[in-house]
Amino acid sequence: MVLLFGCSKSDQAAAAKVAGAKQGTLPPNSLLIGNGTEPQDIDPQIVTGVPEHRILMALFEGLVTENPKDLSPEPGVAEKWEISPDGLVYTFHFRADLKWSDGTPLTAQTFIRSYQRMLTPSLAAEYSYLLHFVKNAKEYNEGKLKDFSQVGFKAPDDRTLIVTLNSPTPFLIKIIASHYSWYPVPIHVIEKFGGMDRKGTAWTRPGNFVSNGPFKLKEWRQQQVLIGERNPNYWDRQTVKLDEIHFLAVENQDTEERMFRTGQLDMTNELPLAKTDVYRKENPEALRIDPYLGVYFYRLNNTKPPLNDKRVRKALALAIDRESLVKNVVRGGQQPAYGVTYPGTAGYTPEAKLTGTIEDAKRLLAEAGFPNGQGFPKLDLLYNTSQNHRVIAEAIQQMWRRNLNIDIGLRNEEWKVYLDSQDNKAYDIQRAGWIADYVDPHVFLEIWGSDNLNNDTGFANPRYDELLKQALRAKNDTERYGIYQQMDALLVDELPVIPIYFYTRVAAMSPKVKGFYPTLLDNHPFKYVSVTR
Amino acid sequence: MSNVNTTFLSTALHQPIEKGSSLWHDAWLRLRKNRLAVFGLVALGIIALACFIGPFLSPYGYEDQNLELGAAAPDAKHWLGTDTLGRDLLVRLLYGGRVSIAVGLSATFVALTIGVVYGAVAGFFGGKRDAFMMRTVDIMYSLPFPIFVILLMVFFGRNIILLFVAIGAVEWLTMARIVRGQVMAIKKMEFIEAARSLGFGRRRIIFRHILPNILGPIIVYTTLTIPAVMLLEAFLSFLGLGVQPPMSSWGVLIKDGAEKMEEFWWLLVFPGTVFSLTLFSLNFLGDGLRDALDVRSSKD
Repeated sequence: MVLLFGCSKSDQAAAAKVAGAKQGTLPPNSLLIGNGTEPQDIDPQIVTGVPEHRILMALFEGLVTENPKDLSPEPGVAEKWEISPDGLVYTFHFRADLKWSDGTPLTAQTFIRSYQRMLTPSLAAEYSYLLHFVKNAKEYNEGKLKDFSQVGFKAPDDRTLIVTLNSPTPFLIKIIASHYSWYPVPIHVIEKFGGMDRKGTAWTRPGNFVSNGPFKLKEWRQQQVLIGERNPNYWDRQTVKLDEIHFLAVENQDTEERMFRTGQLDMTNELPLAKTDVYRKENPEALRIDPYLGVYFYRLNNTKPPLNDKRVRKALALAIDRESLVKNVVRGGQQPAYGVTYPGTAGYTPEAKLTGTIEDAKRLLAEAGFPNGQGFPKLDLLYNTSQNHRVIAEAIQQMWRRNLNIDIGLRNEEWKVYLDSQDNKAYDIQRAGWIADYVDPHVFLEIWGSDNLNNDTGFANPRYDELLKQALRAKNDTERYGIYQQMDALLVDELPVIPIYFYTRVAAMSPKVKGFYPTLLDNHPFKYVSVTR
Repeated sequence: MSNVNTTFLSTALHQPIEKGSSLWHDAWLRLRKNRLAVFGLVALGIIALACFIGPFLSPYGYEDQNLELGAAAPDAKHWLGTDTLGRDLLVRLLYGGRVSIAVGLSATFVALTIGVVYGAVAGFFGGKRDAFMMRTVDIMYSLPFPIFVILLMVFFGRNIILLFVAIGAVEWLTMARIVRGQVMAIKKMEFIEAARSLGFGRRRIIFRHILPNILGPIIVYTTLTIPAVMLLEAFLSFLGLGVQPPMSSWGVLIKDGAEKMEEFWWLLVFPGTVFSLTLFSLNFLGDGLRDALDVRSSKD
C-alpha cells in the first residue's frame, strides 16, 4: 500500500489538474495544449519564455502577424504598411474600429504608449532591445533621453503609426510579425493596477486582463490551467475556429504523455526522451518532429572563477560528446551544435566550429591550473525541473567526470525560481535554450552583446559589441552575414556558453488537430487552428 | 503460628533458585519461535549486507554510463538490466539501498528518540504542561512539509545531513502522540501507584516502569516509520534536497522506474521488489518484536 501510494504521487497531482480542467462544460471546439510549465506572467513586456509566448500568441495580435505555414508577415492590426525606399521609415495603416476585448478603442496612440512602457528604464523589460532598432529608443531605454516624443514613433492620426529606424533593419518586419515585444498592451488597464513601470501587478489577473487577439483570458488557475475563450471584439473573429484554448501547466513529460494518450491533451509540449522511439514504432501519426530554430546550450557564469578563464570554458565544451548525446540520449533527430547560430538561418551558415579533442580539453584544463581536474572547485549545474533536462545533465555530468575528472553537482529549480537565478547570475552552469524570436541569424548573435538583458552570462567583449553595431549598419545581407561570420568565430573562441545541440521540436499531437503546420519558430497563429472531435 | 511460618520459609529456601531471566532474553527466545519474524530478520540482514558489500564486487560503478547501450533488458552482463543512460541497475540498486537504509534508520532513530521522550513526558505530567506540549505538536503538524523543508534549505543550504534532520523532525510528531496516549492509560494502573508509593522518582517511573509497557506500539510504529521515511526521501530528492544525481536511492529508482515502466519494465520491477521485500521484512519483524516484548501477555 505504502509503495503504491508513493509511486502514484505525481499521477495524483496530474489527476487533480485534469479534474480541474474538466470542471464546467468543455465546448466541443476546445484545444487542450500541454504547455510545459506555469507561465511566469502573461504581460508581453515582461515575459521571456516559450510557454508564455504560446499563450500570448493566442491572446494578442501585433501590427503584423504571421502566415500559419511559412511565417511570412500578414496583415494584423495594420491592414497594410509601407516601407520607405531607404528602409528607414515604416508606415502602418490600421484597420477601422479596432477594440480591446473590453470594448475600449485600440488606436495608434495606444501602440506608442505601449512602446513607451516597454522602453521605460525603470520597467527593465528584458526584450526592450528588440525595439532598439527604432530611432532614439535605446537612448530613452537607457535613461539618457527623457523626452519620449523624440523617439521614432509618431501617430499622425488614430489609424496611422510611423516608425523611424536608426538604420535599415531588413529583418524588422519579421520581428514585428513574430515577437510579442511589439504587441500593444492595454495601457488603460495597466494604469489602473499600479502604473506603467511596475512588473507583476494585478492587471494580468483574470477579470482585469484585457487583450486584443483572437482569444481573451477566461480563467487562470495557478499551476493548473490557463483558459482563453473567443474574443468577440477581435476584428477577424469569423476566421477563429476554436471556442476555447486550454494551456495546461504539466511539468512532468511522462504525466503529459499519459494525459495525451487518455485524451486529456490534444498536444503535448514535449515527449519523454525514451518515448520517441516508441511513438516512431507504434503511433507514428501522432508523433511530430518539426524543425525548430533554436539552440540548446549550457550558460556559463563568466564572472565566476574558474569559469572566467577561457581555457576552462573551452575544456568543458570540448569534453562533451555531442554526437553520442544526440544519438543515444536526446534521440529526436537533433543536430549536434558546435556553434551558437543555427546553420542555415535565413541562408546563413556559420563557418567557425568548435574543434578539438578530449586530449585538448585535458591540456587546456591543465594549463588553467587544474591538471587532471585537481583543485577544480565544485560547481553546480542548474536546470529547470524536468525529467528530460535531468537525463541530459546526468549524461554530461558523467562526460565531464570521465574526461576531465571534475565533479559537477546537479541542482534543479522550478521555472520561475530558475529564471530568477538566471537573471541574478545565481548559478555556475545553467541549462538554457535559445529559441529564435524571428528568422534571422541576428537573433542568435544579438543576445551576447554586453548590454543585452538576455545575455545573463556576464560575457562582455568590446570587439563583439562593435561588430554587432556594424552589422546593423551593413548595406546588404552579404556584408551583414560577413560580419556575423566574425562574430560567430569570436563566440566559438570565447565560448561564453557551451552549445550542445540544435533543437527539433518533438511532441505528440492528435491527428484531429488541423491548421497546426510545422514552422521554424514553432509559432502557430491560433486563429487558423481547429480541432475535430 | 510461628512454627508454620518457619517451615514454609525453609522449604522455599531449599528449592533451587530460579535463574534470572531478563526481559530481553525472554523476548529473544519468543522471537526465535516466530518464523515470519526470523524470516524478516534474515531477509533484512541479507539485503543490508548486499548493499554494503555488493558494490565492491561489481565491475560497474553507480555512475558509469554506456550511452551506446542505453536501456537494456537483464542479461548475463547486467543481471538486472541498465537504465536509459546505460548504467547498471544492480549496482545502482545496491548503492541506493545504502542511502535508503541509512536515511531510514537514522531519521527513524531521531524520530524515535524525540517522540518517545516528548510523548512520555507530556503524558506523564498531564495538565497544563501536557496541553502546552501537545498544542506545540499540533502547530508543527499544521506546517506544510515542503515549506518546512524549503525553509531549512534557505537557512542551511543543501546538505544530506539536513535530510535526516528534516525527516526526523517531522516524523517524531506522530510518535509523540502515540506514546502520550499510551502513557496516559498506563500511569493510572496500580503498579505505577505502587512504584510511586515506594518513593521512586519520576524519571525512574517513566523510563523503568511505563516505557517497557508500551514498547509494543512503539516498535510497531517504528517499523512503519522506516519505509515511510524512505519514501519521503524520494520526494525530497525530487525537490532538489538530499540525494542528487547521479547518486541513487530506492525512492529515486522507483520513481524513475514508474515513469518508464511501459518501455523498460525492469527499471520498476527490481527496485520495487527489493523495496517491498524490505518493507514486508520490517513489518514481520515488527510484529514479532511486539509479541516478544509484550510484558503483559506472558511471564506466566
